[in-house]
Order: sequence, then C-alpha cells, then structure tokens
Amino acid sequence: MTESLKALIEACRQGKADYQDLMDRVPYARFLGIELRVQGEELTFVLPKNPENIGNPTLPALHGGAVAGFMEQAAIIFILLEMGEPKVPKTIDFTIDYLRAGLFRDTFAECRITRLGRRIANVHISAWQKRREEPITIARAHFLLSEENN
Amino acid sequence: MTDSKIPYTRMDVCNRSLETVKHSRNLGMEVLSAEEEGVRVRLPWREDLVGNPDTGVLHGGAIFAMMDQAGGMANSCRLYPNFEITPTIDFRVDHLHAPTPGKAVVCHATCYRLTEHVTFVRLTTWEEGKEEGEPVATALATYTRMKIDKNGRVVS
Repeated sequence: MTESLKALIEACRQGKADYQDLMDRVPYARFLGIELRVQGEELTFVLPKNPENIGNPTLPALHGGAVAGFMEQAAIIFILLEMGEPKVPKTIDFTIDYLRAGLFRDTFAECRITRLGRRIANVHISAWQKRREEPITIARAHFLLSEENN
Repeated sequence: MTDSKIPYTRMDVCNRSLETVKHSRNLGMEVLSAEEEGVRVRLPWREDLVGNPDTGVLHGGAIFAMMDQAGGMANSCRLYPNFEITPTIDFRVDHLHAPTPGKAVVCHATCYRLTEHVTFVRLTTWEEGKEEGEPVATALATYTRMKIDKNGRVVS
C-alpha cells in the first residue's frame, strides 16, 4: 500500500479528511457515482439514482452489475477503514442474490464484517432502496488482504 | 438451429440488448460472437474502470457487470429465436488473478441448462489474446425466465 493512501486513511479516521476523498481515489467508484454518508462511526454507502446506471430501460431498473459493483466497492472501503494496519483488499470471490428489482432511485448499502483475519476478510453487504428491512440484493464476499501494491 | 426464415441472427439480438442497456454501453462492451452454444463479449481496459489507482488493475465490479450482461446474452442465444427477459437470481464470481493493466478482457458465457423457469449459466473471462491460458475470472449464475408478448408485456 502506498504511503499516501495510508496517510489518507489515517486522516479520515481522525476526521481531518473527508471519507469521500478515499472513495473518489477509485476511478470506477467515480464512474458509478458512489457517495458516502457518515453518522458517528457508521458508514452508509449511496448509489444516487443516475440514468447512466440503467440496465432495463422499460421498467426502468438499475443494471444488476452496477449494483454489484457498488456493493463490492462499498465493502472494499469498509474493510480499509476497519483494519488496524490497512492493507489493500483484493476481491477473491463475490456472490450476490438479487431479491427485488433495483428501481430507478437511490440505492443504499451497509457492510458487516463476518470475520477479519490476518489474510482474509469475509464481508456481508446488504443493499436497499425503500427500507433497510427490504433489501434488493444481499452479497457475500471474500477479500485477500495484501501487503503488496499489485 | 439455423433458420434462414428468421429475419435476425443471435448476433443481432445481442447487439440489440447492448444498444438498449445504457450501463453496458457505458462500460464499452462489445459482442465478438453469438452462437447457440454461447456468446463471447469484450470489455476494454479503460482508465475510468480501474479499481486500484496505484496499479491500474480493472475493478472487479466492472468485470462482474460485463459478465452478468454476458450471461443474459448467453440466455438470449439459447432462447433464440424467442425473446425473453432474464433477470439474474444469483451470481458468483471467482477472481483467479488480476488482469494486466491496459489489457482488455474477453468473456465466454454459455447457458448449459434451460428449465421452464430457470437458466443455468457458466462464464469464463480471460485477458484478451490469452484465451488459451489461465482465466482471470470464472462465474456461475442462475437467471429466471420472464416470457413477454409482442407488446413487450410480461406474460409469465
């Protein structure tokens, strides 16, 4: 991990930098338009409704891939902030269940780390639109926590 | 199952779905081939699809989105000449190794089982030009079949 990224994570934790800056470092996160809301130490990820992310123009519905990418990126940022000594999380696998159509509206996601090991993290991600209790998708992913850059 | 009386090919069906799906178009996806046994789709390497700005490696989410779309096209190829909407039920992708920054990736998706309500799809993605070698990602997915009438309304 580069020193500049480590410094940014530390600054976010101390409230000296905006979490959004951490998100916006990632080109694909900007491509989707992912935002972040912080309440105390709780993070909610937001995929604001955006015509560029539409998959089904008739409904209209969001592209399942955009929702999945949003959830994967949410998990990556979440892990980065949870680790004492941050390492770069690399996706090993990502499994998603689509429960409801992702309508053309804002989508929210929250993450829960099931286990944070030395080398592997297991994360559960849930995304919703109307209410948190009615997720549109749930996902489970494993990440390799790597010392290296690549 | 080639019927010269059908005025459109599997390639037409796949290109049509790319035209209508804005997000897939935005990803820069391209259909390379579309046969009964499956579809081959390309995702370019692009700076705005990068997941790690320190290395330039494509984001797993971009690869996922391309593969999910390819799976839908594999369904269309299998269902041809009929047309159905096939929303994803579940999708699991394994990222076997990172593709080289700057290199496009190519996905082959095949619907290997079709039932009355569900399709089963297998997908493999390679770095472009290395299709004989180790894949960068493999995936398994299921989709549900939504039959539609001539007016585009869901029948069942």
